[in-house]
Amino acid sequence: MARNGFFCRSLSLALAALLWLSPAAAQPAADAPAQAFADALAADDTGLGRFPEGARARVVDLPDQWARTRPHENSPVWYRMRFDAAGATTQLGLLGLYIERSCANLEVQLNGWRLHATGRVSDPMSRDCQRPLLVALPAALLQERGNTIDLRLAGHALDQVGSRERAAGLAAPLIGPYAALHERLARDSFLAVTLPGLAAALLMLTGLFTLALARNRRRDSHLAYFGLLAIGWALVTAGVWWHEVPLPIYASELILASLPPMVALAAVQFLLHFAGWRSRPIEVALYAQCVAVPASLLLAGPMRVHMLTSTWYMLLVLQVLAAIAFYLWSTYRARRRDFWAMALLLGVAAAAAAIELGVQQRGLPAPWRYLPQLLMPAAFVVMAWHLMQQYSRALLGAEDGRLALEVRVREASAEMEKNFAQMAELRVEQVTQQERKRIAADLHDDLGAKLLTIVHTSESERISTLAREALEEMRLSVRGLTGKPLKLIDALGDWRAEVVGRLSQTGIEGEWSAPSEEVTQTLSARAYVQTTRILREAVNNIIKHSGASRCSIVCLIESGDFQLAIQDNGKGIPLELDGRLDRGHGMASMKHRAKQLRGQCLVESGPGYGTVIRLTIPLEPHTTAA
Amino acid sequence: MKTILLLEDLPEIRAWLKTLVMQVFPDARISEAARVHDALALVSAVKFDLALCDLGLPDGSGVAVVEKLRETQSECQSVVVTIHDDDEHLFPALQAGAFGYILKEQARELISEQLQRISQGEPPLSPSIARRVIAYFAAQSKPQQPDLLPHVSLTERESEVLLRVAKGFTLPEIGVQLGLSRHTIADYVKQIYRKLNVSSRAEAALEAQRLGLFRRS
Repeated sequence: MARNGFFCRSLSLALAALLWLSPAAAQPAADAPAQAFADALAADDTGLGRFPEGARARVVDLPDQWARTRPHENSPVWYRMRFDAAGATTQLGLLGLYIERSCANLEVQLNGWRLHATGRVSDPMSRDCQRPLLVALPAALLQERGNTIDLRLAGHALDQVGSRERAAGLAAPLIGPYAALHERLARDSFLAVTLPGLAAALLMLTGLFTLALARNRRRDSHLAYFGLLAIGWALVTAGVWWHEVPLPIYASELILASLPPMVALAAVQFLLHFAGWRSRPIEVALYAQCVAVPASLLLAGPMRVHMLTSTWYMLLVLQVLAAIAFYLWSTYRARRRDFWAMALLLGVAAAAAAIELGVQQRGLPAPWRYLPQLLMPAAFVVMAWHLMQQYSRALLGAEDGRLALEVRVREASAEMEKNFAQMAELRVEQVTQQERKRIAADLHDDLGAKLLTIVHTSESERISTLAREALEEMRLSVRGLTGKPLKLIDALGDWRAEVVGRLSQTGIEGEWSAPSEEVTQTLSARAYVQTTRILREAVNNIIKHSGASRCSIVCLIESGDFQLAIQDNGKGIPLELDGRLDRGHGMASMKHRAKQLRGQCLVESGPGYGTVIRLTIPLEPHTTAA
Repeated sequence: MKTILLLEDLPEIRAWLKTLVMQVFPDARISEAARVHDALALVSAVKFDLALCDLGLPDGSGVAVVEKLRETQSECQSVVVTIHDDDEHLFPALQAGAFGYILKEQARELISEQLQRISQGEPPLSPSIARRVIAYFAAQSKPQQPDLLPHVSLTERESEVLLRVAKGFTLPEIGVQLGLSRHTIADYVKQIYRKLNVSSRAEAALEAQRLGLFRRS
């Protein structure tokens, strides 16, 4: 007061000059700008329902904040202001009285006529602290000069309330054209009532959504605390909506004072959990604090509310600041990428909280009042956005994980099915194989022994040769019966050893040509056996009948076919009468065998030109990879 | 003078083989057996220079006799005389210590030539047997139990000979290719048979030991 004394006095002098001392210049007209009262006569209420004329009145500067001028008293006060309204009675324009703040409620009288009175004036009294008031001044009640406005203000002493916002006070009333003041009313109520209300609603929704999300993910406990924090803050700032609370001031202050420790609990827990740190003692202490705050107010009595809540709120802000610092420190260490954004966001939130505290405890002027109301919800929404993003990222991650798992399960089950099919196949194969082996063993032991006996006991060379051939055939058949696919390169080795060995034993010059490396194809047992027979038959022919001195065998692998060319320089195969080659040379059986393998066997021969046998058999495509 | 064991269950074939052997080794003393049991009894009584063993016998496989001979009469050359020409039947006999094999149905002249060669130290080796031997030693050299097994491995030359046999080259051809005499190549083949037997026996011993350990524990 002392600081502002000079300023206030000079302003009030100037305004008094305008309104009162120079009525000619200060006549408020319908089109003139609004005029503010800088001071008023004040007198204590005597219960008469009007300004106590006889009582001792004093001059007070306006605005009159009881928090400064009478912090310990809560009895109603009458204010009296005078003004002239030259021309107002005749002109069409309507005058209005605009009061930006009148806490807790106000009665307005013009020239002794009651124009406005809101709510109950004794405890539990109505509270319209945030609502601007506009009262029309009916022209009929106005006089050209010397109009009197009496205001009766009822409210609470600062000692009784937790916040200066709720301590009684009267803003400097304005008189001016009703239309202009109405615009101002609209603007001010938007800022003071609608905006905080909307913000509180928004926060409430944000909080509820976050809680709903958190319900589904117990692991993300920080989401739950954030939801509680948003809801708590919304409740704290939703005070503007509760102007008719049928509760005595002490009770409602107790309720209001028990909210901030809960908000602080939610804030601290949110920050700690978000940083990935949990502490049981801190949690317990925070809960205890929620009980301790209202309990201490209860113990201290109704007139120490402000002193205690100020101390508590300071403490709560310090706790939250400490939690912010801890969070930022751990983020800086672990997640440097997030640090600066979070530092900015939390800085804004901390600043908003500090300003709010300043507004509530130190009574900072209007623009400061609106700042936290805007900043805080913005900070909350940005934080919520950040959390949602994180949540959805986690959700996407989980989804990806689930999909990957699904793919793996599908792969695994496909693999199992495959394995099962393979095992079944293998089992069938095993049984078949066993049966083949049994047949083969029987053939060897029985048929083989008998043929062998014929080979070695027969008097006739022809019969023993036939029996030997039969034995060889039997063995090949058995091999075809039991055999696994053979690598073509191995088959070539077997054939070469047999052909070259036999030719060299009989003194025929043999020439063998075959791919020696990079032969990856395989030959089924059947193809191996049949090809061996064809080759053996051809070599037999050469040795027995051709009289050749040279023989060349060329093996080729070309476009999926195996080709074999056996050429000799002998006398060739004689033609039969019908132009065909001699069947006695086994040509027919060679061709038949080739046909069984889906190949072909061509014989080119002429008397004196030697013989060429060309065998082509397809290699099975699936065996080429082996 | 040679002592020869002839193990064959078919009487006709045994008689035929006996005449054949007597032609090749005119002053040999031949002991005949038709069953594994009889052959084993003979082995513990008589010292043989050469044993011709059939594989499929009424009371078991001739491999048992080959094994017994290998253990008790290391100078005796065991030769498998069989109707089976596939390596699945022959390989176990070779592992047991047989020194080559003769296919029964071959012509008399061929068999007598092979018998002579074997007695002179030139055992036969087919491509498929060569491939089995290569695969066997390749599996042996895998570093699974290198410390437990006495290390038997083929020399580079032996492997070279085996590879060429597997590709279908005859032993004389390989001799020409490597610039070695016929006898040297035959020595390599003998050496390969011997190593196959040594390695197989070590493996069998180890297996027995392992089973014994299991039984004790």
